[in-house]
Amino acid sequence: MTPDSQNQEPAVMRFDLLQPAWKHVAAPRLGSLAAPGRALIPTPNFIALTSRGTVPHVTPDNVRKHLETKGAYVALEDFIERPLQNQKRSPPIFQTPLTTPPPPTSSTSPTTTTHPSRLHAFAALPQPVITILAPRRVNAVPSPAGNTNAAVSIFTSTGFQPLTPKDYLAAVRALQPDIAIAPADLTHAATTPPSKRALRMAERTDEWAVDWFADLADHPPAPGTTPVATFAPVLPIPYPIQWEYLSRLAEDYAGTPQLAGLAIHDASLLPDLAAHCMPLLPLPRLSLSAPPTPHHVLRELALGIDLFTLPFLNSVSDAGIALSFSIPPPPLPSGGGLLPLGIDMSSPVHATSVTPLSQSCTCYACASHHRAFVHHLLVAREMLGWTLLQIHNHAVAASFFAGVREALKQGGEKFEEVRAQFGRVYEPEFPKGLGERPRARGYQFKSVGGGEGKKNKATWQKFEGEGETDGQVEGDGQ
Amino acid sequence: MASTFTSFALTFELVARCSVTRARASILTLPHGVVNLPIFMPVATQASLKGLTPEQLEATGCRLCLNNTYHLGLKPGQEVLDAVGGAHKLQGWNRNILTDSGGFQMVSLLNLANITEEGVRFLSPHDGSPMLLTPEHSMSLQNSIGSDIMMQLDDVLVTTSPDKARMREAMERSVRWLDRCIAAHKRPAEQNLFCIIQGGLDLDMRRECTRAMLARDTPGIAIGGLSGGEAKADFCRVVATCTELLPDLKPRYVMGIGYPEDLVVSVALGADMFDCVWPTRTARFGNAITKHGVLNMKREMYAADFGPIEDGCGCPCCRPVGEEGAMGITRAFVHHNAAKETVAAHLLTLHNVWYQLELMRQARAAIIEDRFPAFVREFFANLHPDPANYPSWAVDALKGVGIDLLET
Repeated sequence: MTPDSQNQEPAVMRFDLLQPAWKHVAAPRLGSLAAPGRALIPTPNFIALTSRGTVPHVTPDNVRKHLETKGAYVALEDFIERPLQNQKRSPPIFQTPLTTPPPPTSSTSPTTTTHPSRLHAFAALPQPVITILAPRRVNAVPSPAGNTNAAVSIFTSTGFQPLTPKDYLAAVRALQPDIAIAPADLTHAATTPPSKRALRMAERTDEWAVDWFADLADHPPAPGTTPVATFAPVLPIPYPIQWEYLSRLAEDYAGTPQLAGLAIHDASLLPDLAAHCMPLLPLPRLSLSAPPTPHHVLRELALGIDLFTLPFLNSVSDAGIALSFSIPPPPLPSGGGLLPLGIDMSSPVHATSVTPLSQSCTCYACASHHRAFVHHLLVAREMLGWTLLQIHNHAVAASFFAGVREALKQGGEKFEEVRAQFGRVYEPEFPKGLGERPRARGYQFKSVGGGEGKKNKATWQKFEGEGETDGQVEGDGQ
Repeated sequence: MASTFTSFALTFELVARCSVTRARASILTLPHGVVNLPIFMPVATQASLKGLTPEQLEATGCRLCLNNTYHLGLKPGQEVLDAVGGAHKLQGWNRNILTDSGGFQMVSLLNLANITEEGVRFLSPHDGSPMLLTPEHSMSLQNSIGSDIMMQLDDVLVTTSPDKARMREAMERSVRWLDRCIAAHKRPAEQNLFCIIQGGLDLDMRRECTRAMLARDTPGIAIGGLSGGEAKADFCRVVATCTELLPDLKPRYVMGIGYPEDLVVSVALGADMFDCVWPTRTARFGNAITKHGVLNMKREMYAADFGPIEDGCGCPCCRPVGEEGAMGITRAFVHHNAAKETVAAHLLTLHNVWYQLELMRQARAAIIEDRFPAFVREFFANLHPDPANYPSWAVDALKGVGIDLLET
């Protein structure tokens, strides 16, 4: 990345590394991801996870004004349900009109060209936000039927349905995300697949990739439209099982404009890529491994991940937790004991605390509100509590990555030092969060075997126990 | 003629009067700033307007919203309110707050309440614990909340109650409780206490109550006990009867009113302030209020409707992308997430609050420009393309103040 390339608007998505040597390593590195018409994302960084096109609890105006993120991960399965009353309809998102916003009347942004996309228009995503489209959500619900040779099994709000790679590519072309993740055969199970299944995962993903890139080559984008920037999946299975697929990526597609990045489901594979697939190394690496804590994020950073999706942000906000970690970490408290990664705002100790959620934070929630309010909102189950926590927690993640980049500017050793210090200072896990969660919806999770019980207790009950068995309004949304 | 009334914590300036109806435009100055009347006040029951940040609420033009004393008394509780320094500080809202007294919960939770001269004994529906609400306790709570307008504790009875003796008792008790409220009010220099006129649907009892309440000279006057299931014609008669007796230079608040037709008719009858949970509650059910009526965004017909929630609406949701602060939300997107993601509820809440505030802003402009009757006609014409569908209660009530909706 040269200084002037930063100011120029790219015609296609591009990824630049600050040092040319970083193109050949699987190690922490500084760079930037730029897409036409969108804000530049300095890496390492994270992008927000959306649910049904929205960052949970945060309206688009607040995403633009207050949410410290420049990217949004969107799952196609959130948009293509078949409602009972209209099973044959084409998903409305594909009919979204492409309206070019009127040019700004002021002279503040004279050269900014707009890049309308159906995805941006349908979900009212702010124009600067880079969109990444994938077939499935991160932490997707496992499909009982599983994928087939012909299709990925996806989970919509009206149930499971197959999505063929061809249909998915058609959706990508219609929606024009800035980045599309090519289809992968994944089990989405907590356990590693047996080797026979793993082999099939590699074979299918390989076949789908060949078809995908062939289709892209056969149908070049119309003049004036941006080509599809594909991130190819790297599967969460051992390298020896997927080496054929990965070497095909390295040999046939790396270096072509079609392969723009890697979507990595297990960062442990990066050393293997460094050893065997050198041509893939300059590509940006997006982690889809759902690291459960910032400790895991630091481990993946050390292995060379550039961009993260962090499902824990949405889940800790729902749990009533305000994140409290930072890079560089503060010194270990003298009294012994570790620092918490987050603070449970539902705890009564915050009832009268008029201090910000975390002292150094400058986010909207911390600047305009205090712990006592967030605590009250959680106890009263007012939705604004989760909104404020989302704004705060995304800001903490943003400043965490800013800290990481600052450390990397001082060299890899500094990063390792900070990382080790982080491990010494902070507790290994997030606090549990004793507050009640917002209602879980059917499209977010699926009961396996049943019998989990209600997630939240009923808010209102009939007086003096009359009709105790009914009137349980607030259930688990099933 | 003087057009300004000043009290300890309030200034009321009458700006204009409709030359036909009793509608008025005025400026109410409260401890947390200026409020233009007539006004709709959104209800932030538990110190939060259902998912909107105070910043978003302020951006709609809202300068006065409601908090609910009964709910804040339970959560976060008086001790917390005192420790934090009141409800403004709790919720980060630097504009005005009006609190009800908790009396309305007597209607809505009647079988949980036992009313005596001392006060109301509730059983908390949260945990079953007993809670005694006396006029003194209500004042103490509202002093802790620090609301700019406090309401007296009143003895509320459903207006449709056939028990005349009980209705009279409630009305007279409300007057006695106002005296106890005035005596117990600790911060009269910073907080306004409004009386509430009771008396059910009996116009004579309403007149009697109005005179008794006026004698107590509170800085503002509310008409209470309505919006409890009575016929709309009865409602209009009560409002018209009370406003006829009220002084010009005090704000008049009709409690619990929120349907757009009710607002417009009540303005014509001479009322200035209204509140209701309906606009925000119905938003959470997927309903959008528009000038052509209420649209349920969950209906399949909106799945691929890429127009704004309401054409020409000036709210942040409906204005097209590219304008300052605008989101360009489509009906399709609201449909996509209604009852699925909280964001859809937030967007409709924002739209509905804007609609209600804008309706009152337009009514005010029409009064000032003395074209209010034309505004009322246009409003009903938008809502009902066929005049045959005009609600007869509205036609009658408006006829009483000089507007003939059916005149061609």
